[in-house]
Amino acid sequence: MTETTQTTSLPLPGRVGRQRRWRVLPIIEVAVLVIAVLLPFVLKDYLTIYATRVLILCLFALSFDLVWGYAGIMSFGQAVFFGTAGYGVALIARDLGVTSILLVLPAGLLIGFAFALLLGGFLLLGRHPSSVIFVSLGTLTGSYAADRVARGWYYLGGQNGIPSIPPMTLGSYDITEGPVYYYMTLGILLAVYLLCRFLVRSQFGLALAGLRENEQRIAFFGYQVQRLKAIIFSFAGAVAGLAGSLYAFHEGFVWPNMLGVVISTQVVLYVLFGGSGTLIGAVIGTVAIEAVSFWLSNSYQDIWPIILGVLLLLVILFRPAGLVSLILSERERVGNFGRLPEEGDRGSS
Amino acid sequence: MDNLFVALFEILSFGAIVVLVVLGLGIIASMMGIFNFAQGEFVLLGAYVTYIVHSAGAPVWIGMAAAPFVVGALGFVLERSIVRRFYAAPIVAMLGTYALGLIIREIVRGLIGGLYLSVPEPLGGSVNIGTMHFSSWRLVIILITALVMIGSYLLLARTAFGLRIRASLENPALARASGISTNAIYGATFAFGAALAGLAGALIVPVFSLFADLGLRFLIQGFVAVMVGGVGSFAGPVAGAGVIGTLAAALPWIIPPVIADVLVFVLAIIFIKFRPQGLISGKGV
Repeated sequence: MTETTQTTSLPLPGRVGRQRRWRVLPIIEVAVLVIAVLLPFVLKDYLTIYATRVLILCLFALSFDLVWGYAGIMSFGQAVFFGTAGYGVALIARDLGVTSILLVLPAGLLIGFAFALLLGGFLLLGRHPSSVIFVSLGTLTGSYAADRVARGWYYLGGQNGIPSIPPMTLGSYDITEGPVYYYMTLGILLAVYLLCRFLVRSQFGLALAGLRENEQRIAFFGYQVQRLKAIIFSFAGAVAGLAGSLYAFHEGFVWPNMLGVVISTQVVLYVLFGGSGTLIGAVIGTVAIEAVSFWLSNSYQDIWPIILGVLLLLVILFRPAGLVSLILSERERVGNFGRLPEEGDRGSS
Repeated sequence: MDNLFVALFEILSFGAIVVLVVLGLGIIASMMGIFNFAQGEFVLLGAYVTYIVHSAGAPVWIGMAAAPFVVGALGFVLERSIVRRFYAAPIVAMLGTYALGLIIREIVRGLIGGLYLSVPEPLGGSVNIGTMHFSSWRLVIILITALVMIGSYLLLARTAFGLRIRASLENPALARASGISTNAIYGATFAFGAALAGLAGALIVPVFSLFADLGLRFLIQGFVAVMVGGVGSFAGPVAGAGVIGTLAAALPWIIPPVIADVLVFVLAIIFIKFRPQGLISGKGV
């Protein structure tokens, strides 16, 4: 009896919310998914192709959101993994003639993972814990260096990159741009999103969020801080690699910009604008920026980057949690992590 | 023998350019703890001001003299209105100044288009010693760099104003308690750093010509140099700039330029990894 009264008088913070009102986050997520599924029915063909590109960029944005929004690792070089995977699958298609989706996508994923493991392992592991400035500078330099190398390397096509990559194939079927590619990308994005969602809401995600908020305290709890960072960095690299290989086959060519500082910072813009630290924020930010950019690109092409910069500055100054925080409460944005050990007991009693 | 001297001169003049760019960055990073990602764009602005004055028909050197003041004034305004909000959070400062840099870069891009605009050297010709030719303008850059370096050092180490800056750096709370307005000091320091970048941009525009992404390359180079040299002191960033500038200028004589360019950065990052405090550790001037 006493135990029951205790449970009702001291409920978990999450429970009150669940009883009182709807949770907003799942509604947003489902709404975005429904819109994404229905979109090709209303869009013209060339817009479906554009939308596919945006979905691929969403996947890329997720990878940055994982490292910055969750683990607090400032990566100004996320395009390295995006671009190397793109170049990798392009070379596989060009030189080995392999275009089967069952081979090239895992290959892209692995390339992204391997490069992220190398770069992240070097920057994040070691005797001295790395400062945030060092990591951001190191990743930025990595991106700049990769861009330069790709531009100067004849085998990779130099300035022009690798043109006319053959389409991806599944058996004898060519997966060309259009609704099929769109739904395939959407499926992959959804799968990766759900995986990330599971990951960041687990106890592992809690440790990551702790890293972001107070790294030292997490270290005192006995976590291998640097190893955690290297793990999430490599995982994010794999996601970026997947996005890069999808992008390469969708566009049909790869070029040095894919590796460079411009794309690296573009993805920073997406995530900060949409709201870092929420997965849906990365998606919303990407879609918002790309949609407005498409809409404005005809008439205001010159001033759009300036507006983008001003928006970013305003968001950083006044809305550090991004667009999503306009409709999402702070409690829900931070979220809850896995199941507390006693939560199950309380539920059954 | 003559070739060696010419090579050395090239290396020295490029090293001087890097030092000039890094000095402002280093002062802001060391004295305020802010990694100013807009510094490259301050360089760009300095170059742009010079170009504007030149295209208005005035002599180039007037533009060069005006550039540090214009950019310094803008730096002061930006510090007062925006950058001062970032002091509590260095990472946010990085992103915020990056956004500022983006805005400046895109405005300049909008104004000049995707063009490469050239500005003539105010002092043409070359100094000839025997059979060797040294470009006069590069000599002037070396000279001005040396003067600016000595001047900045004296300002920070020997004047009352420098003392206040150092006091605000070492112990802001105590400095405020002693009646130093740390706010005003930070504003002035930021403006000074920006003015140095503007001067750098003005001086190098005849060598590199003006294009919108001019600053980006110097930004990365500058940051690497500051980290190699060590944040917190005056000598650190200068030493780092010397090393990076020398390497960046010397390596292309030995190995292909593309590899050299990348190799400098890779070597620098590896160096910082194993010696995070940089070449010269410690605070102060």
